[in-house]
Amino acid sequence: MRSVNPIIAGNSLAIFLTVVILLPVTAVAAYMLTSPLDGWIAQFGTWLHNRYEWSFPVFDTVERFSKIGFAIRSIFIAVGISFLYFWISNWLNMGLARYTARGSIGRQSTIVEAIQPWIFVGPALVLLLLFLMIPALSTLSLSFQEADGTSTVRNYAFLWDPASLGYDQFRYAMRNSLMWLILVPTVCISLGLLIAVLADSVRWGVIAKTFIFVPLAISFVGAAVIWRNIFAGGGIQAQEVLNGVTPSYQIGLLKSLLGHGAEYNEPLYSLQFWGNFFLMWILVWVQTGFAMVIFSAALRGVPEDTIEAATIDGANPFQMFFRIKLPQIYSTVLVVWTTLVILVLKVFDIPYALSANDDDKLLLATMMENARNNWSVGGDNVDNLFAAIAVMLMLTVVPNMIFNAWRIRKEQREMGH
Amino acid sequence: MSRYLRHIVLGLIVFIWVVPFVALLATSLRSETASKTSGFWTAFTPTELGHRFGTHDRDDTDPFVVMNGNIFDRLNGESESYPVTGKVNSVMFTGRVPDPDNEGKTILIKKLIAAGEVMDVRDGDFVFQTNGNFTWTFPEATAPRPKNLDVFIEQDPVFGADAYIEVLFDNKNVPNALISSFIVTIPATIIPITIAAFAAYAFAWMRFPGRDWLFVIVVSLMVVPTQLAFLPVLQGFSGIASWATQLNSWLTDCDIDDTCRVASKSFASLWITHTAFGLPLAIYLLRNYIVGLPKELLESARIDGANHLQIFIRIIVPLSVPALASFSIFQFLWVWNDLLVALYIGPNEASDLVFPIRLQKQLGTFKDQLHLLNASAVISMIVPVIVFLSMQRYFIRGLLAGSVKGG
Repeated sequence: MRSVNPIIAGNSLAIFLTVVILLPVTAVAAYMLTSPLDGWIAQFGTWLHNRYEWSFPVFDTVERFSKIGFAIRSIFIAVGISFLYFWISNWLNMGLARYTARGSIGRQSTIVEAIQPWIFVGPALVLLLLFLMIPALSTLSLSFQEADGTSTVRNYAFLWDPASLGYDQFRYAMRNSLMWLILVPTVCISLGLLIAVLADSVRWGVIAKTFIFVPLAISFVGAAVIWRNIFAGGGIQAQEVLNGVTPSYQIGLLKSLLGHGAEYNEPLYSLQFWGNFFLMWILVWVQTGFAMVIFSAALRGVPEDTIEAATIDGANPFQMFFRIKLPQIYSTVLVVWTTLVILVLKVFDIPYALSANDDDKLLLATMMENARNNWSVGGDNVDNLFAAIAVMLMLTVVPNMIFNAWRIRKEQREMGH
Repeated sequence: MSRYLRHIVLGLIVFIWVVPFVALLATSLRSETASKTSGFWTAFTPTELGHRFGTHDRDDTDPFVVMNGNIFDRLNGESESYPVTGKVNSVMFTGRVPDPDNEGKTILIKKLIAAGEVMDVRDGDFVFQTNGNFTWTFPEATAPRPKNLDVFIEQDPVFGADAYIEVLFDNKNVPNALISSFIVTIPATIIPITIAAFAAYAFAWMRFPGRDWLFVIVVSLMVVPTQLAFLPVLQGFSGIASWATQLNSWLTDCDIDDTCRVASKSFASLWITHTAFGLPLAIYLLRNYIVGLPKELLESARIDGANHLQIFIRIIVPLSVPALASFSIFQFLWVWNDLLVALYIGPNEASDLVFPIRLQKQLGTFKDQLHLLNASAVISMIVPVIVFLSMQRYFIRGLLAGSVKGG
């Protein structure tokens, strides 16, 4: 076996070099060879445009169709390259092994078996290394540097120095994160449990669950647009009092139900402090379906005999739920809770879409975006400040990450791998 | 808990969940004026709305004794969509009348006059009937100056698809966003699933040093906030882009400062980034599925002399369709709905923006055209909701398999 290792190393290097050179060249060549396609598709678009007399300018049609053409060939090339990689490297591995093993079937198979796993996991590991692990470490080091590369801790000055940029914003962001962190998972889990229990006990439960479930498919920005109709303030023109009757010019349902007059135009989510809770509610609306589905499945998995035993002992529905069912799905609740906590820590879209520049509604993720756009007064080290906030965001997730790694490792051991 | 209480509580929750959708659809189907001056819930019942009514053009100076007409014909003459029907309730008269206290002077008054009552407009008798007919009578032929009146009409509910037609055909942004979203989403779903499936197979059934620890590391990456990676990834892409610009100028005949330029934030950079960010969840889900497949299949295939690529394509892929489907729907929804990564890494030309960014911008630009905003939101949701509802089974399976990927 001693003599096989250099061969493995040599073959690996050969495969690696071939792939690294061949694939980009193939991609570039494929792009250049297929570039006339855009023109043809644009011509087809122009033909359609004239045939059906579309109302918008023909220029738009040409632009759109050449974009579609570009998209189609990009999709084929990108997907083709990733398939090509596996095919080429597998073929090379077999061929090289046959050549270098010099007729020994055993050695050949040893060589193939040693290299093959790395061919399969290679792209994934390389991508994760290049796009997650190295960038994360490099962000960490950026956060301890000035723009010119000298090391400093001043980027974190918002932690302790009231005169520094972002001191107040960071405090708002932490306060809000804490509120989000406590409220959103709690409400989602309670509502999810309640709905799961109720829906399993009525005949129309499946329909009810579908309705609760659908928001999961919607983007957070979409959800923000949806809830704007409920939380928004008055319409653009306030109507005068007519014979003592004010027709409602509120266009937000909730504000109208609360009886706010037309002169009071501020959307509910812009309210000082309390606006945060309306933003949170949007996330709850989206995520409760997730909790519900998981709990619904978990509750169905509770062993029948424990329920029967409790029924015989005369447990009422509340005791049944809190004493029998809940303890048995406790680990599921924990999983849902960690997932939601991580989600909340990273939440960005909803506050960004509805109250982007409001310090009072900041979360760490929106604070980062704020820093990127508005902190150019901070000088050249905006990127470094940005990195520092990103590290703070990471730190809030770390406890969960450790918990997750521990849980998955345990799960793996239980599965016997 | 009593039987009825269950139905009531669940019904209430479902109601709260559904009302926002009703609001979305109703607002998108209303006219611009209706959507910005009254709440969506007034769209379903006859609602009193004010209309500005002008008697005639200023240039129109032919004398007349009686002017007849119908306000609904006038209002609907201008456009065919959202026809106004209903009944006239009252007219707000604003104008100057002789001051009873001050001889020879006039005062400005505002008075609400019910339909059917006669009012004095420019010394003629003006009457609005409930059905919208109006008559303006003078004792002798006169050419009065025109007069504006605010007419309050109890309007019948009216819906129309004008907003959809406008955003889809008259506005370039929504179709462009739709195309861009597809361009981003399709490769960003297919590529990670290909790469992850191979990796998952290796993690499940192949032996190599450090396998278990590598797997744990990969899976732990699921919770790393993507923000942590943005800056270096962007720097990397701009490095590659300037290199590609050089290459482009070397290969083709173009201007290095203009036509050769390769953008650093492009669809391709989004594909690769989404692929990398999606891999941990994909590998986790697929590996856990593949590990559960019967090992005898693999062994008998090995004995028959099949290599790993053949086993993977002929045996693993066909058997793993449920897991592949469940991850692809996750990734599809994830990428389609993503705002953050697209904002940092994606192209920033107006025509290449993906739907969530476009929608976020429209929250500002369409804040007085709520019908367009809501129509655009509906269009952005159609694709993911259809995918979601048709593949719900796989989605739930994926969730239950332990999705830990956060936002």
